[in-house]
Amino acid sequence: MLLYIFRRLLSVAVTFFIVSVIIFLMMHSVPGGPFDANEIPVSEAVRQQLMAQLGLDQPLYVQYFKYMWGVLHFDFGVPYQSPGETVLQLLSRAWVPSLILGGAGVALGAPLGILLGIAAALNRNTWIDYLASAFSTIGLTVPVFVISMVLILVFAVWLDWLPASGWPTPDRWILPIIAYAAIPVATYARYTRSAMLDTLSRPFVTVLRAKGLSERRIVFQHVLRNSAIPLVTVFLPMFIGTATGSIFVEAMFRIPGLGAYFVSSIELRDYPLEMALMLMITFMYCIAYLLSDIVYALINPRIRVGGSE
Amino acid sequence: MNYIQKLSGVLVLGTALTVPAMAQTVIAPSGSTAGTYMDYMKTVYDRGTGSELLQIPLATFDKEFELTPMAAESWEQSEDGLTWTFHLRDGLVWSDGEPLTAEDYVFALERAATTGYDFAWYWDFAGGIDGWQEVTEGEADASALGLNAVDDHTIEVTTTAPKPYFPAVTSLWYPVPKHMVDEYGDDWALNVDTIVSSGPFEIESWEKSNNSVVFTKSDTYTGPWEPQVERLELDPTLAAPEVGFPAFLAGDADFSFLNTGQVPVAQAQFPDGIRENAVFATSYISYDLDSEPFNDPDVRRAFYYAVDRDELTSTVLKDIAIPAGSILPPGYPGYNQDIAAQAIFDPEQARQYLADAGYPDGEGFPDIEIWYRDEGGYNGAIIPAMAQYLQAEFEEVLGITMNIRSLPGPEWMDGLRNKTNNIFIAPYEYDYLDPSNFYGIFYDGGRHGYFVSDYDELVAQADSESDWDTRLELYAEAEQIMIDEGLIVPLVHPITLAVLSGELSGEATEPNELGFTPLDRLAHYFYTHVTK
Repeated sequence: MLLYIFRRLLSVAVTFFIVSVIIFLMMHSVPGGPFDANEIPVSEAVRQQLMAQLGLDQPLYVQYFKYMWGVLHFDFGVPYQSPGETVLQLLSRAWVPSLILGGAGVALGAPLGILLGIAAALNRNTWIDYLASAFSTIGLTVPVFVISMVLILVFAVWLDWLPASGWPTPDRWILPIIAYAAIPVATYARYTRSAMLDTLSRPFVTVLRAKGLSERRIVFQHVLRNSAIPLVTVFLPMFIGTATGSIFVEAMFRIPGLGAYFVSSIELRDYPLEMALMLMITFMYCIAYLLSDIVYALINPRIRVGGSE
Repeated sequence: MNYIQKLSGVLVLGTALTVPAMAQTVIAPSGSTAGTYMDYMKTVYDRGTGSELLQIPLATFDKEFELTPMAAESWEQSEDGLTWTFHLRDGLVWSDGEPLTAEDYVFALERAATTGYDFAWYWDFAGGIDGWQEVTEGEADASALGLNAVDDHTIEVTTTAPKPYFPAVTSLWYPVPKHMVDEYGDDWALNVDTIVSSGPFEIESWEKSNNSVVFTKSDTYTGPWEPQVERLELDPTLAAPEVGFPAFLAGDADFSFLNTGQVPVAQAQFPDGIRENAVFATSYISYDLDSEPFNDPDVRRAFYYAVDRDELTSTVLKDIAIPAGSILPPGYPGYNQDIAAQAIFDPEQARQYLADAGYPDGEGFPDIEIWYRDEGGYNGAIIPAMAQYLQAEFEEVLGITMNIRSLPGPEWMDGLRNKTNNIFIAPYEYDYLDPSNFYGIFYDGGRHGYFVSDYDELVAQADSESDWDTRLELYAEAEQIMIDEGLIVPLVHPITLAVLSGELSGEATEPNELGFTPLDRLAHYFYTHVTK
């Protein structure tokens, strides 16, 4: 197992390197630079001066190695769009609201979705099942900005129970967290339902019933555990989603989070920040899948990692 | 700590916490969510929200677009027309108590010319400051600029040619605190603690994640136009009507811009709160004049006559745009009705021109792709819908196939500059209130890479002409060349609609003589003439 983890970490490093080269090349192959979006283009002399200030006048490979050398020392540079701080400072500042939003959204949405899925599976083809499936279909198909807008209209404008948007006080966090939770609820409800139905039809459940176990023990101790593999598969990537925030929820509720930086770093050609965000995502996905594999082995002894047997 | 000390501590803390909450605060939408420096003279396009409100320009515009003296009390032009002298008023100070002097203004432009200012073109092309080009290109040092702080209160500017409209240009000339730059470098404008102001407001806080700011009325400001409100919250996240209007309805914003879908709701609910503004801006079609098929003036003329602007602005762009016949918007200085009236919809003539160019009924005409810039604001509301309208119309009237492509700003600009495409929808909003602003964008070296010598000659002549009527005649002649050569197709002028809370009042909330309310388009005027 340890050897397996070590090998996987090595492959993470290789993936990381390859992805960094691809991202760097793509980023610089897109036409236009950080000073090319203005109404009137800056003169060539001014442009060269600005590019030199940012080190963009150097050959691409030099820029790449300089940047990656910095990354190895946890120096991701200074974002062009916020020159008063480093990329790391920016991330640690903007990440907090996104983490609160995403963390609370998943913490609320995942259990709710699982419960909904269980209820649907146990009451298959009844009104409970149909309601749960209608709910999850809405959660997955209605764009989150529409859900956000409806929430604002109903709870902030018509009922006047909660503030419409903003982030300064926790009462303003409620609506966006509900909006954010829509997708986890829907996803989990669907995955749980189908995994549960699959497991419920397996022979061992019939055996357990024949042995006279209570339905509650069968469901929570045996069926749910055996249905957990697909849930783990969706959980970790979804957890990464919480870290990166939801661009739409953050925009609709005016949350000063990380989401908008994913767009603005590309639009403004903010190379250091764009690179840092992409590397961060790459790294998190690599680690998340590694963890998924380990968790698989833990919850299902039939899965063996590393092929050591 | 004894009891009295404790009590006074609590009282001080209590007052500090409650005073801002009790004071009147205007909460308003504003520009861009990305802000680098809180320094207009360092960067215009990526500036911190409201940087211009923190400083006092030499002059600025009121809601009737009359130029009003601000830091400069008066100015005069020399006999030969090449030198302008500005006299600063007494008693102006920075918010840290340092006196504001002519040197701070001169320094602002010297730094801009030497350290790569993204708005540098303005001072060459609009300002025509002597030596500007040489200095920005690194061929001369800052001392070669035609700028001189004669004494603490007198600024002298020398231009390469007479610039009769130079005082209007100074509405974007803000001072930079030299004493702070000497100590902190450009970083003075990155941190609330080191940002000093010379204008009607001071900065209290700055949320960099969305570039929103809280300003308070300045205690040290002695210039004209004292603010009527104590606090100001400017928040770019309220700028999109989709977000701003719900926040407005919930009482979280004092005004909001409206999109077309919101207009009927807002009109029904707040009949007295609706304000209209004609932005001094124009959307037009521009071309690559050097390559097929748009190197043929007949092709361009065909496009000029193929647009039904009245239908366009009464259907897909209802309430948010008016027809444009000229590059100059109505109400803008120099606007000429005779020029605008030539832009008619004449399908017969359009087809004739296209046939003359060798493409009868569009036969043999290559498929083209019109590029527009993906953006928010009023352009984002107008341009995508307009592109689709034009696509249908050109197919119907001219029999040609035009595809549409939306690009991010830098790519679009790259296409325009390097001519990697041949037809564009381009928007332009004025930077200073003079016809030379709009005519300059088609001048040699302007943003379109056009070079039409007759046109350039007339514009250059007009720019330095001191007699207003003669100038306007020259500009009209220049625009006639644009029409005859079909250099552009003027499409529409945007209208923005906003809804104002009933709690806002004051001169700035009332329409001007033209019936328009410019709101924060004239930030200095608006935020000092609004009360709550």
